Amino acid sequence: MDNLFMTELSVSELTSLIKQTLEQGFYGLKVTGEISNFRPSSTGHWFFTLKDASCSISAVMFKGSTWKVDFTPQEGDKVTVTGGLDVYGARGTYQLKCDTMEKSGFGQILAMLEMRKRHYASLGYFDEKTKKAIPKLPLRVGVVTSPTGAALQDILNILERRAPSLDVLVLPATVQGEGAASSIANRIQQANNLLLCDVLIVGRGGGSIEDLLPFSEESVIEAIHASEIPVVSAVGHEIDWALSDFVADLRAPTPSAAAELVSQGYLDYQNQVANLHVQLQRSIENRLLLAESKVRRFDTKAMGMRINSIISAKEYLLANAGNSLVIAQKQLLKSYAGRLELAIRELQALSPLAILARGYAVVHNQEGKLVASRMQAEPGSLLTLTFTDGSRKALVKE
Amino acid sequence: MSFETDISRIEEITQKLNASDTSLEESIALFEEGMRLAKALEKALAEAKRSVEIVLGEDPREAEITPLQ
Repeated sequence: MDNLFMTELSVSELTSLIKQTLEQGFYGLKVTGEISNFRPSSTGHWFFTLKDASCSISAVMFKGSTWKVDFTPQEGDKVTVTGGLDVYGARGTYQLKCDTMEKSGFGQILAMLEMRKRHYASLGYFDEKTKKAIPKLPLRVGVVTSPTGAALQDILNILERRAPSLDVLVLPATVQGEGAASSIANRIQQANNLLLCDVLIVGRGGGSIEDLLPFSEESVIEAIHASEIPVVSAVGHEIDWALSDFVADLRAPTPSAAAELVSQGYLDYQNQVANLHVQLQRSIENRLLLAESKVRRFDTKAMGMRINSIISAKEYLLANAGNSLVIAQKQLLKSYAGRLELAIRELQALSPLAILARGYAVVHNQEGKLVASRMQAEPGSLLTLTFTDGSRKALVKE
Repeated sequence: MSFETDISRIEEITQKLNASDTSLEESIALFEEGMRLAKALEKALAEAKRSVEIVLGEDPREAEITPLQ
């Protein structure tokens, strides 16, 4: 087909040429426009029109690509898509086949946030050493969030379950769109001016990056930084972030997690008290067991046995002692008997009777006195003469 | 009531109960005191008596507070 002007073409041939030209000439495009006439199909493809002030172009995004988009486009959303042109021969139409889609300005928002983050970091707003400790047992938690959002319900439920005695004060704020940042900042200042609580949760549930933007606004950053009350930032889901996360004293990945963090002290105390309770009981049980074992030594049976054993030991000793005593006594007697015999024999040797037997006599006067001299025996006195076999009276003649 | 002091007191009581030189009479008195404190603490921690309130009005210098719902 060197010369189109000389060739007669069928519709299919022309369409094929157009298809080749458009698809090969327009690829890797990046197009920004407003979503219009958004028609998601039941099979997961998206059909819509991308337009600006004066023009519009049909667009399609197939199921294989739509799942990667983290939002569902709404009428009027400004988006940036990448893709190429696609010709649909059967209808003679062309459309933009989209591979990716993001909200328009997403990149600029990220860049702006990054710049703001660096700015406040350089001012020392995010320094760890300026962070205040979250009280272990707060008495009243202030919650700056939407009074109608699911985040508040999550926080209330979790706090009730984990710390039922902890008071909660809701500081209702607009959390997205116009005026949200000043509303949030205002509540933080109010809580501080009036010292309404001893810890503040500032947050909201998940949303688009624009929805979370108020939490990255200067007024909110300043209010959190100036807050005397420790602030827990709880914005969106785990993957979401806002600059409030950096300036706050503690970042919670979700509002529910923030509720868990501020009530953790109560839970710890509950566990500690329960443990102590068990320890107390164990200690007194041990103490009682000890006392019981001491008392048990004095029970009647054991005591009887002990006394019996003492008595039998003494009895044995006594029996032994008795034996020895009998033996000792016998020996004593024996020795006495020996000594007695000896003494008798000595006595007998010395006895005057033995002398008398040899012919001597003992002379007593009438008074019974021994007469050993002739001077004691006056003539005419009566004397008693004792012989070995008896006595006789004798009259002294001269 | 201070959780901190009450908890320290229970810990102290447990230590005394474990000490061998504490008399039985004293142990029982200590145990009763400890149990009384522990039960009071458990009650204080678990009893639902919180108030949930909401601030009305936007003025940062004053706040009208009313129960939520």
